[in-house]
Amino acid sequence: MYRVFFFFVLSFNVFPIIAQEQLMNGAEIATFKKQVANASSTTTTIKSDFIQYKHLDFLDNAITTYGQLWYKSPNLVKWEYTKPYQYSVIFKGNQMLVNDGGNKSSIDMERSKLFKKLSNLIVNSVQGTLFDENDFETSFFITEKGNKVIFVSKDEKLKKYITSFELVFNKKDATVIQIKMIEPSGDYTQIVFTHKEINTSLPSALFSF
Amino acid sequence: MRYLVFSLCLVLVSCASYPKQKSLKEIETTNKQIRNLYFSDSEKDYVYKASIDLYGNHFGGMLIIKKIAPKNHRVVFTTEMGSKIFDLSFIGDNFKVNFIISDLDRKMLLNQLKKDFRILFTEEAKVLKTFNTENETIFEVQLLKDEYYYVTNSNNLTKIVRVSKGKEKEVFSFVECKENDALELEIQHKTFDLTIRLVAI
Repeated sequence: MYRVFFFFVLSFNVFPIIAQEQLMNGAEIATFKKQVANASSTTTTIKSDFIQYKHLDFLDNAITTYGQLWYKSPNLVKWEYTKPYQYSVIFKGNQMLVNDGGNKSSIDMERSKLFKKLSNLIVNSVQGTLFDENDFETSFFITEKGNKVIFVSKDEKLKKYITSFELVFNKKDATVIQIKMIEPSGDYTQIVFTHKEINTSLPSALFSF
Repeated sequence: MRYLVFSLCLVLVSCASYPKQKSLKEIETTNKQIRNLYFSDSEKDYVYKASIDLYGNHFGGMLIIKKIAPKNHRVVFTTEMGSKIFDLSFIGDNFKVNFIISDLDRKMLLNQLKKDFRILFTEEAKVLKTFNTENETIFEVQLLKDEYYYVTNSNNLTKIVRVSKGKEKEVFSFVECKENDALELEIQHKTFDLTIRLVAI
């Protein structure tokens, strides 16, 4: 009986984990990093839809929001939530421009180091160039969905907000397909990109309100 | 002398009770309890687009309210991009701050939030007096040692007003409601620069 139980537990829990996630070896990490560096050096623009899931432990269902992302190299990023509310953010140099359902404002990120760090995280994760950050301990995995990198915060201030950060890259084109930000409580925000278009022409007017 | 009479009148008016100032007519209290069921369904996730204005600072985001069990509510405020701003638990008479960003970690603000949400989550209160106007029935109650007036229109709770020394100190307005769902509400403080606006999403 014990054996049957053990087999049951193993087949449902351990095997799928082994099959789904495997730590990369040194050579695989080097190849993967090169692939991402190549992809990001040839990416001038990204246009993508996204679905954001906010998971809170006390809710049965995640809170789901929808929107679009635009990126123009070297450092213009616009997040636009379209459903269930209208809210856009543009990261432009040291400024964060906000349009909250028609109410526009701007935040000078120079005033807040933490804010700057969070915005750099967003820009760098879209670009896929986070690996050189000194603020994180990184580990690399091969999963069914794609290549996954886990970034664990070393910065004490950032740690209070995000303990770790996960990026999943498409195995073929090495672009980011999923972002997950995990808070100290274990609650997390997951962003899944869909309908991605690379290097299409994006008008500059998109990055202003 | 004329000034003295005028001043005395002013003092008398400002000291007059809230019902007197509002010319409310007291009627017999037949409903011994007044109910607020807007956050009473533990099956529901109450999710709002929220805006909080505090001393000239604006915080936008999502406010999530969940009734976990009887007399047990959780309130989480996050930015639109998902980062938590605060996370509060109300269990019986206990209040716990699970998380709050350091910029907002102020005792005065937390006390205020504690009080505001306690009022929102109070499902039943004992009616002390009842008044009416042309369209409204108003119930006077005492909660957390303060004087509150529950304003109803055709049996729907439309406002909760906290009154001290005859003056409105805080107004909870249920702007749009559908049965027991508060689709749009506002909490406005008159003596503390804090306004919370919530629109259900």
